Amino acid sequence: MTLQRTILSAITISIAISPPALDAAETTQAVNYSREIQPILAKRCYQCHGPSVAEGGLRLDSRDAAIAELESGSHAIVPGEIASSVILERLRSNDESVRMPPEGEPLDEDQVRVLERWIQQEVPWNTHWAFETSKQAGVTPDLDADWGTNPIDAFMLRQLRRTGLKPAQTADRVTLIRRAYYDLIGLPPSPEEVDAFLADDSDEAFEKVVDHLLDSPQYGEKWARHWLDVVRYAETNGYERDAQKDLIWRYRDYVIRAFNTDKPYDEFIIEQLAGDELPDSNADSIIATGFYRLGLWDDEPVDPRLARYDYLDDILRTTSEAFLGMTIGCARCHDHKIDPISQRDYYSMLAFLMDISPHGKANYNHVPITSPEERVRFAAQESAKAARERELRQQIGEIEDDFRARWRNKFPDVEIASTSALKDSVLTSVNDGQTWKYSFERPPQNWYEIAFNDTSWLQGLGGFGKASTPESHVRTEWNSSDVWLRRDFRLGEIPESVTLEIHHDESAEIYLNGQLVAERKGYLKRYESIDISAACADVLQTGRNTLAVHCHQTAGDQYIDVGLTFDNDLNELERFVRDNGDRVFTPEQLNHWKTLKEQLQQSESQELKFRETYAMAVAESGRHRTYVLHRGIPAAEGDEVQPAFPQTLRPPSAEIPITDDDAPTTGKRLALARWIASPNNPLTARVAVNRIWQHHFGRGLVRTSSDFGFQGTAPSHPELLDWLAQQLVSHGWRLKPMHKLIMLSDSYRMTSAGNTEAFQLDPANNDFWRFNARRLTAEELRDSVLAVTGVLNNEMYGPSIYPPLPAEVLATASRPDAAWGKSTPDQAVRRSIYVHVKRSLRHPMLANFDSPDTDTSCAARITTTVPTQALEMMNGPFMAVQSAKFAARLERETPGDVVAQVRRAMRLTTSREPTQEEIQADVMFLEQLTKQEGLSTHEALRNLCLVMLNANEFVYLD
Amino acid sequence: MATPNRTFCRRTRREFLWEAGGGFTALPLLSLLSNDGFFSQTAQATELERSYTNPLAPQKPHHAPRAKSVIFLFMYGGPSHIDTFDYKPNMYGMDGNTVDVKTFGRGGHKNQGRIVEPKWKFKQYGECGKWVSDLFPQVGGCADEIAFLHSMTADSPIHGSAMLMMNSGKVLSGSPALGSWVNYGLGSENENLPGFVVMLDQKGGPISGAKNWSSGYMPASYQGVVMRSSGAPILNLDLPEGTQRSTQRAMLKRLLEKNRAHQATRNDNSDLAARIASYELAYKMQQHAPEAVDLADETDNTKKMYGYDNPQTNDFARKCILARRLVERGVRFIQIYSGGAHNDNNWDAHGDLETNHTYHAGRTDQPIAALLKDLKQRNLLDETLVVWGGEFGRQPTAEYAEGTGRDHNSYGFTMWMAGGGIKGGISLGTTDELGSKAVERPLHVKHLHATILHLLGLDPNHLSYFYGGLDLKLVGVEPVEPIHELFT
Repeated sequence: MTLQRTILSAITISIAISPPALDAAETTQAVNYSREIQPILAKRCYQCHGPSVAEGGLRLDSRDAAIAELESGSHAIVPGEIASSVILERLRSNDESVRMPPEGEPLDEDQVRVLERWIQQEVPWNTHWAFETSKQAGVTPDLDADWGTNPIDAFMLRQLRRTGLKPAQTADRVTLIRRAYYDLIGLPPSPEEVDAFLADDSDEAFEKVVDHLLDSPQYGEKWARHWLDVVRYAETNGYERDAQKDLIWRYRDYVIRAFNTDKPYDEFIIEQLAGDELPDSNADSIIATGFYRLGLWDDEPVDPRLARYDYLDDILRTTSEAFLGMTIGCARCHDHKIDPISQRDYYSMLAFLMDISPHGKANYNHVPITSPEERVRFAAQESAKAARERELRQQIGEIEDDFRARWRNKFPDVEIASTSALKDSVLTSVNDGQTWKYSFERPPQNWYEIAFNDTSWLQGLGGFGKASTPESHVRTEWNSSDVWLRRDFRLGEIPESVTLEIHHDESAEIYLNGQLVAERKGYLKRYESIDISAACADVLQTGRNTLAVHCHQTAGDQYIDVGLTFDNDLNELERFVRDNGDRVFTPEQLNHWKTLKEQLQQSESQELKFRETYAMAVAESGRHRTYVLHRGIPAAEGDEVQPAFPQTLRPPSAEIPITDDDAPTTGKRLALARWIASPNNPLTARVAVNRIWQHHFGRGLVRTSSDFGFQGTAPSHPELLDWLAQQLVSHGWRLKPMHKLIMLSDSYRMTSAGNTEAFQLDPANNDFWRFNARRLTAEELRDSVLAVTGVLNNEMYGPSIYPPLPAEVLATASRPDAAWGKSTPDQAVRRSIYVHVKRSLRHPMLANFDSPDTDTSCAARITTTVPTQALEMMNGPFMAVQSAKFAARLERETPGDVVAQVRRAMRLTTSREPTQEEIQADVMFLEQLTKQEGLSTHEALRNLCLVMLNANEFVYLD
Repeated sequence: MATPNRTFCRRTRREFLWEAGGGFTALPLLSLLSNDGFFSQTAQATELERSYTNPLAPQKPHHAPRAKSVIFLFMYGGPSHIDTFDYKPNMYGMDGNTVDVKTFGRGGHKNQGRIVEPKWKFKQYGECGKWVSDLFPQVGGCADEIAFLHSMTADSPIHGSAMLMMNSGKVLSGSPALGSWVNYGLGSENENLPGFVVMLDQKGGPISGAKNWSSGYMPASYQGVVMRSSGAPILNLDLPEGTQRSTQRAMLKRLLEKNRAHQATRNDNSDLAARIASYELAYKMQQHAPEAVDLADETDNTKKMYGYDNPQTNDFARKCILARRLVERGVRFIQIYSGGAHNDNNWDAHGDLETNHTYHAGRTDQPIAALLKDLKQRNLLDETLVVWGGEFGRQPTAEYAEGTGRDHNSYGFTMWMAGGGIKGGISLGTTDELGSKAVERPLHVKHLHATILHLLGLDPNHLSYFYGGLDLKLVGVEPVEPIHELFT
């Protein structure tokens, strides 16, 4: 206990917020419980007098409990009576054995005095602001005559005046258009776009720019990136193999499309959490549930049961932080120390997610998303084809019957060869037990390769499993979770078709000569034949071949047996008719037969090009009970809990519609999604508008944009936040009107320029007396370089790209040769949102400029300034190539005119017109490089380009 | 503004707000622009530029440190303890016997196995009489400097998660590496070099690559920097091909002019000044880092001592000499990998134990011993903590029906520490008589981490970083005591 206390107090001291010192005269000022009192109680008292422990009978987490009689018979708090409230003397005591809290520094006198005032004022008790539904709009402040265009400005101005500040001037128009472009599409305006804006002196000029940008497809690419940070988007699973999440890029594309089509945010939430459970679920809504598959997954966990909870915990944390701005994850092992979230709340929330199917390798989480129309169309094509072939076969059959009759009639002594094809096979163990090498223990990674040495494996007869499995032929008992099998066979010739004969319970992977040729999920109840010819193309060889099988079992009966049938399609009747047909048929008859044969063959060879479309998405398997886990330990199951929302939000009860065990899912996630996406949820809309605000103004109104709890910062403009949240809902949860509302305010259009007086009053710009300048994000920087040099490829969507990486970076991977893919030069210059996101190998430039680590949700990027960034920008291979492209562009667009080149380069990198002095200085610099450094004109220009791409004016946004 | 309050958790509220997008507006004054940089030759730094705080600027420790630097010799793949430093005399002659012993490795849980007796002879070394196998005769010769931890345990016997645990204290991905914690807690003594340097094996990085030196949820500035022992030591340190230093100086001058002009109307924005200063630092790094990795001024005797002249030991020798040079230049945390990539390219001896360990020990024994001796003769050993070990050890029994290969073992294994406040010539903890699991004084990776932080002057239970609603620590939620028995 003592140790516990020690560390707790260490935590508490670090985050305690001291209330402002008060004059005696101020003692009558009303105490704000949630802002002034609760943080002290939560951080210094709850550990021993909170939801989980009530030492001495004192609990301070509800008013009734706090004023109740203690075990000692006295009262810690008596409303309105300072003298009888023993808590105060315990807090102030000089005797360390009596003083509270017993560990760490005592409360300072300011804190005790605010508690005293609170008691004096009859112990007012209200809930944390963010957990209460916002008050109805109320009155928006009046707009000022000379400043402000919409209510945002009225809220802002009111607060500025309270602090004695004035809003800054409106920024100049070049700054404005640059700001709008970067904020909405993450790219700089072209000089022509700037000129058009400068030339437009209508009142709506800026509005037109905003509308144009909101309509541009690049808007989705910019804003999707913000969301991808929050959901920790990555395209690999992390850990030892860091394997690809195949097709997960469809989720990224979904997010881009969602922003571009201005999908209402409530739908956006529901689709990601439960798009598969919607009555009108469609490809897009299923792709959206890729949300569940973005996180880390250890395919070889040390403790599988714990790993399962880690996987779900990661999802629950991300869900609660992303949508609700709540750090529910903190209550996994014990009640939240600071926010009123109990461990029961945590597991009740986890109950919504408990049935999510486990993660798996490669295409394990693939869900078909082919549209019903496409399916119907294909089915029609397929049946037409089948009917045509049936017809042909019948006609051919009639002719061949005729041939046989004629032949027997004419040559009764010459036998017609049989029609049976020459077949070859690797038998299953249905009739006779076949000999296999097998292992019940996980073999080395290369176990399925031909060359793998399986001499140490056991040998036995198939099939493997438990005899209780239906239609099994068990000759070797297998009752552990996994079995690995190997068997060699020889082939005289390469077959044209390969059929897999298999019975499996449960999932099986089948390898031929080291290649995965079939992957089977779930279980069968009998042997089945599956055509795997396509997967076997180029895999088989004459001579020795190796068949290797892994079967994995989770529960119930188990069984595995595998065989192969090879078919060389040697139809001897066909050959016979070809060779001897003219002996009984007329040439016309024979040709007719040949034509029909050809037509059939052609039709058969034309495989209908239908391929199921898949997405990596959510699925559920089984129905799992959820228990509160003591200290988060899976084996320490406590009370069972049902799906429920955190009680502190006073939520409705969760209605789970489906109880039918055969339904694919129960609708639990949909219930969760609908509660989160409800306008009555006190957090969702606020969290959403706060994120929008954050990405326009450089920080949220609540700076901790994924933590609206007690540890988060209070909103700097609470009424504005609530007003914006209401606006979002009343605009049908659409984001584009919110951008427009924000960007057309005078507040957004303020300059970022300094003001000594204001700076002294409010150096952190808490009240937004000016606009916050910012550095470009990593993606904006790379994309802007490509845009300025003129090579940016604006192609949208699809699988990710692999811009070339330096060998030094690849060398950090355990398989340097296989660490990174290769894109064509044209593809390699697409926007950064399409760059492959690999957890163990991050794109160095993006990582260097603070693109987030993807293992956990990132609410706000930290902007670091370190010398390795300068090295990259001055010396890196990407910049060397791009500065040359930039110079070539200038030479192409303004050949031979150095002044024009300098001017153009400045316009491209800064949007503004350079002064004569600047042009002069750059021209002199070019001369210096050619004359003193002996560089060619091109090389000198390239180096100037590099300087411009390194300049603060290019990299920072006013 | 005064230096921000140093709270118990080290992470100041200001920094927290900065992360939340507040911008870092007021910065402590700390001159970092010494007289060998670019500014001194071309222009004076402005006051605001001088006030730029490198995120890695030196920080005050919690208490007086015993060690200034750490060299972590990471034997990736997991060396077998009973074949190196954990002497099991009773096992000789038991080869091939089947014993009941609980093991857990990549092959899963087993209750029985075939003993593979230690494949090397052990001899006694030093005044302490430490038994060390013939794999490490030269390290054996330094036994009086070394404290052996025979009862190490870790949470995972699987490479991926075990590597993360040894490097970041967690089997789950996403936490900062030990070196990042040191960077965060102490900053770097030498602004011209990274504070956390990683040198990889020639064969490739370890499994999970950069995750092993990632700063996780901390800013990227705290992550490890991979230093190569040949070519440009740091990524992008060399000038682009065809660019002369004088040209780059001219470019930096023009860039500075542009940035100063830009800043003239934005003079309360310290971020701009910081970026100007970062170019100065980069310029200095370009001048100093190559010198740090240039072995030209090392004597032949020194090189010979490390085995630099022997092709077998050359690579690791070079890295060990570099590590010493980096320590001399104030680099806080240096990690050298022995072994990379997969299979027998590292210590992961599943197949043929003798070939594997002979190869890897043969490449490292002499350089490691030389490093200890060299640090000592230069009076650096007292302030340099050397740590040796892998992500786990190996089992006493065979992995397969035939052969000498051993599977992973996280139930008990050996690591050792030397220098930097460590008492030499001692052995702490034991494994059972087969070396299958820790028995006396079991130690966990978190104890090792706590010990390293403690020796560096940091309190492992108070060095925390606020993230995701929690004050996170390298050693986890529960307080962890450093291993006090090891301290001089």
